Amino acid sequence: MPAALAQLLALGTGPGEAWGPAPVIGYVGADVPVEYLTAAGLHPLRLSGNPEAPHTAGDRYLGTGLDPAARSVLTRLLDQDYGPLDGLLVSRDCEASLRLFYALRELRRVEPSLTLPPVHLVDVLHLPHRTTTRYVRAKFAQVRATVGTWAGRTVDDAALADAIAAHDRLRALLTRVASLRRQRPARLTGTEMLTVVAATTALPVGRATALLEQLLKEAGELPQHEGLRVFLTGSPHDTPHVYAALEDKGLLIVGEDHDRGDLLHLRPTGAPTEAALAERYQYNGPTAPRASIRARAAHTGRAARDCGAEALVSYARRHDEAPRWDYAAQEAATGLPSVLLGRQPYGALDDGAAEALTALCPHAEVTR
Amino acid sequence: MNARLNSASAATAHQRQWFAGLRADLADGGDFALVNADAPQEIFRTMGIPYVVNQWWSSIVTAKRRAQDYLELLRARGLPDDSEQYSSIPLASAFDPDPASAPWGGLPRPTIVLAETTGDASRKIFDLWGDQPGVSFYPLESAAENDVPTRWWELMPRDWERAVGSDRLDLMTGELEGLIRFLEQTTGRVFSETRFAEVMELVNEQQEWNRRTRDLIARARPCPLPVNDSIPSVMIPQWHRGTTWARDAARAFHDEVAERVASGTAVRPDERLRLMWIGRGLWFDLDFYRRFEESHGAVFVWSMYLAIAADGYLRYGDDPLRALAARFAAFPDQLYTPPWSAEWYVKEARHHGVDGVVHLVSEDSRGSYFTTRALEAAGIPVLELHADNVDARAADGDGLTRTVGDWLGTLTLSDRAAGG
Repeated sequence: MPAALAQLLALGTGPGEAWGPAPVIGYVGADVPVEYLTAAGLHPLRLSGNPEAPHTAGDRYLGTGLDPAARSVLTRLLDQDYGPLDGLLVSRDCEASLRLFYALRELRRVEPSLTLPPVHLVDVLHLPHRTTTRYVRAKFAQVRATVGTWAGRTVDDAALADAIAAHDRLRALLTRVASLRRQRPARLTGTEMLTVVAATTALPVGRATALLEQLLKEAGELPQHEGLRVFLTGSPHDTPHVYAALEDKGLLIVGEDHDRGDLLHLRPTGAPTEAALAERYQYNGPTAPRASIRARAAHTGRAARDCGAEALVSYARRHDEAPRWDYAAQEAATGLPSVLLGRQPYGALDDGAAEALTALCPHAEVTR
Repeated sequence: MNARLNSASAATAHQRQWFAGLRADLADGGDFALVNADAPQEIFRTMGIPYVVNQWWSSIVTAKRRAQDYLELLRARGLPDDSEQYSSIPLASAFDPDPASAPWGGLPRPTIVLAETTGDASRKIFDLWGDQPGVSFYPLESAAENDVPTRWWELMPRDWERAVGSDRLDLMTGELEGLIRFLEQTTGRVFSETRFAEVMELVNEQQEWNRRTRDLIARARPCPLPVNDSIPSVMIPQWHRGTTWARDAARAFHDEVAERVASGTAVRPDERLRLMWIGRGLWFDLDFYRRFEESHGAVFVWSMYLAIAADGYLRYGDDPLRALAARFAAFPDQLYTPPWSAEWYVKEARHHGVDGVVHLVSEDSRGSYFTTRALEAAGIPVLELHADNVDARAADGDGLTRTVGDWLGTLTLSDRAAGG
């Protein structure tokens, strides 16, 4: 395996790599403008859950009816599983993230002995209205001030412009890397791509960029992959467990529409200004919990065609509410053979899902 | 005490009559809105656009034992039947092949639907409404705040700018301006500032009556009315707020309660336990609240409906549109978001001198841990009852009754122990 890919796959969602002396700020959700953290000299670390570990504490504080990924993140925060964090930015990318913020805010108030890091809500909203943009800009000004406080220095316009350019560069590289799995035969699996994207959210932007550039240079050495080309919709995936389970069944995930995959990097900021940054995050998407059924279906239909997908799979994690409401319209929009895997366990497929997939691809071949 | 409150009967009769009139008025078409409970209905009132509240219709369907039929209609279209049922049940009426068999002759087909983009699924339900022929969906943003003052109920009537936060208010005011323009264009109706000011004043008057009624009940020993009488007495006028009928109904409710208090009328003269019900109404079994009066002398003296009417709606100020924005920009927070919700329930529990709290926790619980924690930290026993308020499939009715009965037994025993 080429060196860059090996390194990226090894990093995964870790906080594994040494960060150096700069403070680490954890963040939840793709609606957090990491540009401010980079501009302030702080290290952003996107937090992921762990399907293989119990999330008892998260269940206790959030209830068992909420997305288990958020319950797992809260558990890991309470266990200090991410290493020392100097702050925490929580976006409102879905209901579970918002409730996670409320729980953290309240735990800091009523149970200070839990020693949770300071937490700030990033309330990016997504209706396509000027009033919404004005609100997002007000929220970004708050984030900028909070990040400045954490960093002990003001985030100036020049540093922000540099950070915007750096993260746009990273997004452009991710889009190029993603094209490797669109090729026939594909040069990356969906599992690999998901892990590569995750690694870039756990690394300083400069280091992530360098590794992606190296990966693209080494693309000719990548092995070839075949399988039933699937576009994956539904819940976001904070670990590769489900991707690996699907690809073990002969599927090849050539694209997805969640914000830990293609939706993370499709939209650049463009101009190096705070106004452009606000618009970038407001209009990023369309994610399942924040977009209309119509917008989501139109995107899924278009993206599945662009990927040359042969089938549509919607994986909806138990207690992740939005995807099941989207599915009927997405199915119609793609016109592809499709299957809804509803109410799935966190990080896994249940027996019913396995049967449904067999029906979808009885003759698929695994060549890996 | 079995005689129903006159105000409860009058409110129910009015609602039936009003609904029949609505159906007749819309027989040949016309503008009609279906709006979410937490949405600013005052705009529609001002413009004379009739509306029905989504969750109210859901409770009617459920009380008439038709909820499962409606959920089946969703399921048949490949839509979830186990997601946001309280909000989704009315959507099924759009797919009903036999709408005339629906409760009260059926929900007229709306031309406008209004909801906030709260949660992950609520908005989707209204997206589907918006896909129906002749129906337009106007979505409202729902914003959140980093820092909130804890004792919001002291600030909300007049100092709402501080309680809610200026960014949220700027946003919601902008949203409402957009809504007014949208309604002007789609219905051809006029939004009169003069009429709007009257509506806002009537709403405040109504909620002031509710506040007095809440305080009367909080102080009264024993409790003068069953909680399932107070729910229609306060909520039906709430859905008609901004009218003189609703204001007068709230006053009549107050006067009737005052009369009962003065005459010593009681749900149970031998009231031994005062209880608080936290959560939405158990619409599939409204008799539940009275099941423990005989056996344990236990009376539910509190539900959120009257209490939130008393504390959650009052907004005064020179700018009526911004005041209306302040009524709704943080409405769900008051009930479900800690610290606001948790501290408010403790305040209300103390105000009513309750001996215990039954806390209905649906699977999709919102801030429930912190509410229970705050009450227990205040020394108030809490029973968490796990069930959905409209979907009875997961609820074992006998089991719920047994659970509450057993818990009340422990409260009685601890009282005896404390008494020596």
